[in-house]
Amino acid sequence: MDLQQRLRNTFVEALALGDDVDVENLKYRDIDEWDSVGHMALVAAIEDEFDVQFETEQVIDMSSFKVALDMIKDLGAE
Amino acid sequence: MSLLAPGARLVDATSGEVLAGPELRAAVEKISAELSALPAGVLFARTSVDVQSVLRYVAAFESGRAVALLDAGQDRDVLLGLVERFRPAAVLGAEGEPPAGYTAEWVREDAAGVVPHPDLAVLLPTSGSTGNPKFVRLSRQAVLANAEAIAEVLGITADEVAPTSLPLHYSYGMSVLNSHLLRGATVVVEPTGVMGRAFWTAVDEHKITSLAGVPYHYEMLKRLRFDPAKYPSLRTITQAGGKLREDLVVEFNEKMLAVGGRMYVMYGQTEAAPRMATVPAEKLAEKIGSAGPALPGGAFSIRLEDGSETSDPDVVGEVLYRGPNVMMGYAESEAELSEPDVRGGLLETGDLGRLDADGYLFITGRLKRIGKVFGNRVNLDDLEQMLRGSGLDIGAAAAVPAGDKVVVWAENCAADTRKAAAKALSEKLHMHVSGFDVRDIDALPLLPSGKIDYRSLEGRA
Repeated sequence: MDLQQRLRNTFVEALALGDDVDVENLKYRDIDEWDSVGHMALVAAIEDEFDVQFETEQVIDMSSFKVALDMIKDLGAE
Repeated sequence: MSLLAPGARLVDATSGEVLAGPELRAAVEKISAELSALPAGVLFARTSVDVQSVLRYVAAFESGRAVALLDAGQDRDVLLGLVERFRPAAVLGAEGEPPAGYTAEWVREDAAGVVPHPDLAVLLPTSGSTGNPKFVRLSRQAVLANAEAIAEVLGITADEVAPTSLPLHYSYGMSVLNSHLLRGATVVVEPTGVMGRAFWTAVDEHKITSLAGVPYHYEMLKRLRFDPAKYPSLRTITQAGGKLREDLVVEFNEKMLAVGGRMYVMYGQTEAAPRMATVPAEKLAEKIGSAGPALPGGAFSIRLEDGSETSDPDVVGEVLYRGPNVMMGYAESEAELSEPDVRGGLLETGDLGRLDADGYLFITGRLKRIGKVFGNRVNLDDLEQMLRGSGLDIGAAAAVPAGDKVVVWAENCAADTRKAAAKALSEKLHMHVSGFDVRDIDALPLLPSGKIDYRSLEGRA
């Protein structure tokens, strides 16, 4: 499975998203599920799935699915 | 006495706009004038973290109109149920199709309605707001007395700048707003919260001086490796909304002390408008685990099973609080809005605890089955009831508190159903889905009496 698909699955799982959500274009606080509580769960889930560790600045800058994808690529996730 | 002291300022962090002085007063008065044209009855205000919601609340308070603060994200069915039971004069900030008997602007068509008691100022849903939410009735005097007492113990001056890190309809969020406006301080309205870049930009830009959080905010700050040295203006942190892990109290207190700052641990309930106790910052290190002494004007005692009361140290029983900030009572329907104070300044907290020799309160448990989900009180029996009525294929289920979450044990429950159950609870209660951990169990443990052995389940959660 490619990175994007795996990240998508991680989002769906961590935020308990329904089928109708356009995950790839999702932004922080667009939907109730991705509030600050959801963000904490999401960050932890991404770290687990891709075996990466985010810096403080990255956690608060992770404002969309696309940004998250770029970040895990930069961290060398495979 | 007015909630709005002359120096009070509201800053919209999103637009950068500042409302202060005569401008702020004029904005409030404009809304007050609109409110006075509405029919008799309570006002419902759907609140978000935005300036308009703050202004509506302040305008209602200042013009003596009883106002119920509701989560703007609340389930529509729950809102409609409340409208039916309380027949509000209007629902401010409402969207979508109005219910029968209301105009397109959600103003009640029938001019006649129960006139709320003249002392009644604010109604807050009982935190938890399960299936059938009721309101806590707070008098104008209770709200002001509590705001004043909080401002006093926290040393709030006109120089303070507080962000809205908590929702306004949540009693802790309301009290942060009240205690700052009352002292002519600044409140920065910032909707993204500590997990967003915009929040920390606002801290720098507006020189925010304090931060209020419930236990999960402190978990987030820990995750963010929060370092107050990076934010030179931010020197006060406060914590309430449930007991914070003692190791985190120690850690954050030390962080703040290291930069010449301070941390306050507090205790309260919506029923007390909401604050009852605060540990003075300079005593925190030696009183770890305590909720603090009663606020000025308030007093704790401990009630034993035989009904007797004591303030002797180290006796465990139900915590009673007496003070000017205790609610008038609850309201479950429109008729009760006109009722006078039925509590006489006494609050039976339902918490178990003890006092120490210095009069500091230590909470040890709950009398009733109550859990906390991200700081919000949830009645666990109601929660089980909601699952039974959810239409999902769930057999026997038992809910127990687990820190900032609730764990639900469901007998022989498939993964999909568990997921759907967590989602259903999340939607019904409007709390994040990660607050409901639904787990599978072969058989719920039972006591010899045949009742569910909740204590053993708590041990496993």
